[in-house]
Amino acid sequence: MDKKYCAYICTGCGIGDALDIDELSGVVSGEMSMECKTHPYLCGKEGRALIEGDIAGGINTVVVGACSPRVMTSEFNFGEDKITVRANLREQVVWAEVKPAEGEEPHAEAAELLQETAADYMRMACSRAKKTALPEAYKLEAINKTIMVMGGGVSGLTAAKEAAAAGYDVLLIEKEAQIGGKARGWRKSFPTKAPWTDLEENPVDALIAEITANAKITVKTGTEVARIGGAPGDFRVSLKAAGAKTEWDAPAKVTVDEQELIDKGQKEDPNQGLQKYTAVDPGAVKVGAVVLATGWKPADVSQFEHLGYGKIANVVTNAEFEKLAKEGKVPANVAFVQSPGGKDNDKDFPYCNSVTSMVALKQAQYVCQDNAEGKAYILYQHMRTPGSMELFYKAAQLNDGIFMTKGSVVEVGEAGGKVTVAVEDTLLGENLNLEVDMVVLAAGMEPTTLHENTINLAYRQGPAFNDLSLFDGYADSHFICFPYETRRTGVYSCGGVRKAETMEEAVDDATGAALKAIQCLESTDRGVSVHPRSGDATYPEFFMQRCTQCKRCTEECPFGALDDDEKGTPLPNPTRCRRCGTCMGACPERIIGFKDYNIDLIGSMIKSIEVPEDDEDRLRIVVFVCENDAYPALDMAGMKRHGINHMIRFIPVRCLGSVNMAWIRDALSAGMDGAMLLGCTYGDDYQCHFVKGSEIANKRMENIGDTLSTLGLEPERCAAEQVAITDYDKIPQILNDFVESIVEMGPNPFKGF
Amino acid sequence: MKVQPDLEFIKSLKLAGGDTLKKCYQCATCSVACPLSSDQKPFPRKEMIWSQWGMKENLIADPDVFLCHQCGDCTEKCPRGAKPGEVLGAIRSYAYTYYGWPAGLAKLATSAKNLPMLIGVPALIILIFWFLSGAMHIPSVEEFAKKGYTNFFGHWDFKWYAKNIFFIVAFMVPAAGIAAFSIYKGITKMWASMSKNAGIEPTFRPSVMQFLTQFLVPSVTETLQHKRFKECTTNVDRVKGHLPLVFAFIGLFIVTCWSLFKQDVLGLIWPSLHGPLPLIDPFKLLANASAIALLYGIWVLWTNRTAMEAKGKSSRTFYDWFLIWEIMAVGVTGFGAELLRWAGLPTFGYIVYFMHLVSVMMLFLYLPYTKFAHIVYRTTAMCFEKYRESGFAKNVMS
Repeated sequence: MDKKYCAYICTGCGIGDALDIDELSGVVSGEMSMECKTHPYLCGKEGRALIEGDIAGGINTVVVGACSPRVMTSEFNFGEDKITVRANLREQVVWAEVKPAEGEEPHAEAAELLQETAADYMRMACSRAKKTALPEAYKLEAINKTIMVMGGGVSGLTAAKEAAAAGYDVLLIEKEAQIGGKARGWRKSFPTKAPWTDLEENPVDALIAEITANAKITVKTGTEVARIGGAPGDFRVSLKAAGAKTEWDAPAKVTVDEQELIDKGQKEDPNQGLQKYTAVDPGAVKVGAVVLATGWKPADVSQFEHLGYGKIANVVTNAEFEKLAKEGKVPANVAFVQSPGGKDNDKDFPYCNSVTSMVALKQAQYVCQDNAEGKAYILYQHMRTPGSMELFYKAAQLNDGIFMTKGSVVEVGEAGGKVTVAVEDTLLGENLNLEVDMVVLAAGMEPTTLHENTINLAYRQGPAFNDLSLFDGYADSHFICFPYETRRTGVYSCGGVRKAETMEEAVDDATGAALKAIQCLESTDRGVSVHPRSGDATYPEFFMQRCTQCKRCTEECPFGALDDDEKGTPLPNPTRCRRCGTCMGACPERIIGFKDYNIDLIGSMIKSIEVPEDDEDRLRIVVFVCENDAYPALDMAGMKRHGINHMIRFIPVRCLGSVNMAWIRDALSAGMDGAMLLGCTYGDDYQCHFVKGSEIANKRMENIGDTLSTLGLEPERCAAEQVAITDYDKIPQILNDFVESIVEMGPNPFKGF
Repeated sequence: MKVQPDLEFIKSLKLAGGDTLKKCYQCATCSVACPLSSDQKPFPRKEMIWSQWGMKENLIADPDVFLCHQCGDCTEKCPRGAKPGEVLGAIRSYAYTYYGWPAGLAKLATSAKNLPMLIGVPALIILIFWFLSGAMHIPSVEEFAKKGYTNFFGHWDFKWYAKNIFFIVAFMVPAAGIAAFSIYKGITKMWASMSKNAGIEPTFRPSVMQFLTQFLVPSVTETLQHKRFKECTTNVDRVKGHLPLVFAFIGLFIVTCWSLFKQDVLGLIWPSLHGPLPLIDPFKLLANASAIALLYGIWVLWTNRTAMEAKGKSSRTFYDWFLIWEIMAVGVTGFGAELLRWAGLPTFGYIVYFMHLVSVMMLFLYLPYTKFAHIVYRTTAMCFEKYRESGFAKNVMS
């Protein structure tokens, strides 16, 4: 595209009052040699008309010096074939000016300092405009829009039903000989509607019938997924008979060190007899997206020896009891044990949550329904009945034959053909000894992903989801606000594999996951990114000639988007990519970049910042700010008029993971005095939109600190901070403290070289 | 403790006004509201779960259940609508039936279904006695003005024991006797269960005098002062009805005793003392004042309860209303009979007087099984409360 530029400065919202606009437009038209116009109300009808008039006259690249790029997005959107670059003069310059404290004299050069800051933001915007290019969406040659649903239980069936209802072909894979999953064994299900008191007919039979009759849904029972290769819109699925072993089973991940041992014959190859992960199975079925609904397994409760499971005949799990109930074999006196802990531990069984509480309430009702004199004891440490299910709890409570108490079950024994239960610390104020016909243990619901790969991807980063230990093995991305997402694009999880949940929740979940799969297919079809950069048409491009096969990008991609060949050269899968740029940040050769976001572009922005020499009042500190949380927090700080030191220049980045250390070196060698990364929390409670970005960035910053000290620069000139979007009130302090520490260190000794 | 929930017990509590008992979820708000609750004995939270679990034995031997005078603070504060106050009322109702003797009669007095029997039997007995007395005729206006109701069962010349008194005693005393025996059995059984549950194994027993001065008199004094009633916040208006009622009963008790003494002892010496009292007689004044207090008191309780029920704060139960009706009947018929005597209407007077006799007999006969039993059971519980804190209950030897 032959770019024709014009810059516009809005003088509204106090910008015109605080700055010398003539001087500012002089910087643009002079230094940056770009025509510059001003308008008192640029986002208004007239302002927009001014820009549109110029666009009609041939301008195609617009620089807008006004408010934050996070606001007025539609006002300053001039179409997909135009480039708009925004300079944040309002929130981060004019509104972020440090005001003197009461009784304090304002800085003698306050106006000049503000003017310099604004000028730098205009310079950065102009250099960005010069370096950026229009994106060209990556499109698959042929897209497959079939949705594969793994697992034929309530969630899987619902996902299939919903996807088919939205017009998509569905391939439903079920390991067992019949679809319906665990729900087929349930006698009744929880209430799903007002008054939320009565047990309902199990919906699974109706659902099975509906799925079987649906022409858009192909059901394959007795079948398992051996491996899934490819990428969204073009997954290649190798199927096999349930339980079988084939050469197309997904290979385990082998690290470089392990491979070395294998090659030396010191370690057995775990992938003996398996096809390489990059191999293409000619018999594979093509699908576009995957819904993972493989469900859960009842947890083993025999580890709790005092409860007698496996030793005493009439001690059963809740799942086993449900089966007996369905067959009509419900004894008259039953104790439901919700927590195994004995006296010192009030935890519920592992992998329990509200579901097991509600199951006990349901099953206690069977006891009273089937026996005139039925007595059901529920011995709990916690009863969890969220939302409207509180009404279900209340209704069960009203049953004369249901007896509930909090208490520690210390012993389950046998006496005279009966099962005895000893309970301490009860609400009755006494230790209880119950004599019952049966004891039901509230065994938890372990996700299938806890012990198995389940998804069986043929990816470089291995066949399973990464870091599931953060979520106790549940296939939950925990992207905070991003339900159903996983760390593998095009794979969406729902039902028991994601969380221990009721059938009703599973139905909601499955519907959500089906919609996610559809979004993914449609985004892939248009060549744009899925969540969280939905609609982004750029994608990372690799200049392979200069690749050194260092494998950093393939290792670090949080989404496993990059496979590689034998030598380690990355094989990109753009439809798996979420466009975070972590690969770009990782690459030491700087060969990865996006059309509108690359090493050169950000490097040029850094270099366009004016770095005065020999002026202690005018040090320059560059702060790379994550667009997702830190940047909005900064805008909010501006809206609240929290002052931010005038020596700081912010550069927004897609994710801290995309920050290439070359930029830090660029900044310091340009004479800047410090550099900081401002991004999301990482670790157990991570908030990074791209999961690993801020964590990786932090490691890189530690390494660069070492490099700086070898050059004789203080490593403290570089820092990385974690903030949350709600930390707008803390950010100014963090930044100003950093500036103070730089001021104490003094100017960068390389300034001016 | 071995648990064996009694489903029948739960059902009967539900029928007797405790229909909300299963709603309790043990938050203990009631225990915070109740002045009877202590750190070791979260009352009535614990009683609520005992009821839910059908643990009859614990409840009927729990003095706190009887100490509760249903002020309604717990019911008012309960976030679940479990109405602990009403449940405790139902437990007491159950306990009176449980301790009541003979069991058949006790059971009979628990249900509105049995009202025809409950009213019919005393009415029939009195009617039979009336026929037996041979006095079944309505007196002339002059005779009525002179004798009032003193010749209701006729007159004979055997001056040492008036015919009227003979007949009244003939049915009232057995009725009161059954009640007294029933109460004696009930409270001894209750005392034993309470001692057992409280784990009291006394080494010394208080003498009758010690019992009276240390436990009974202070309890009665406390009752007369209505101290605990006044601690209520929600339903403090009840004092305005209950207090006049208590004094009315005391007043009427004194008048009845005096009347017996005067007519049957002094009357032997001075026959002129027979017949109705003149209006200015101090005892007549006391009698009339008590009657008015009784009517006022029961009217306050009646309206109060109706209002509480309308607000959904109390359940409408036979247990509560039977006593209110009974007292109202005694008051209205007693006072009505007197008014009719003044009005010189013998026929109406006799009918109302007959109804008065029936209602008084019912009050006596059913005392141990109805809410009226609280006079004795509550007083016993108050004594026990003082007893268990006393040196007698604590094993001083260990």
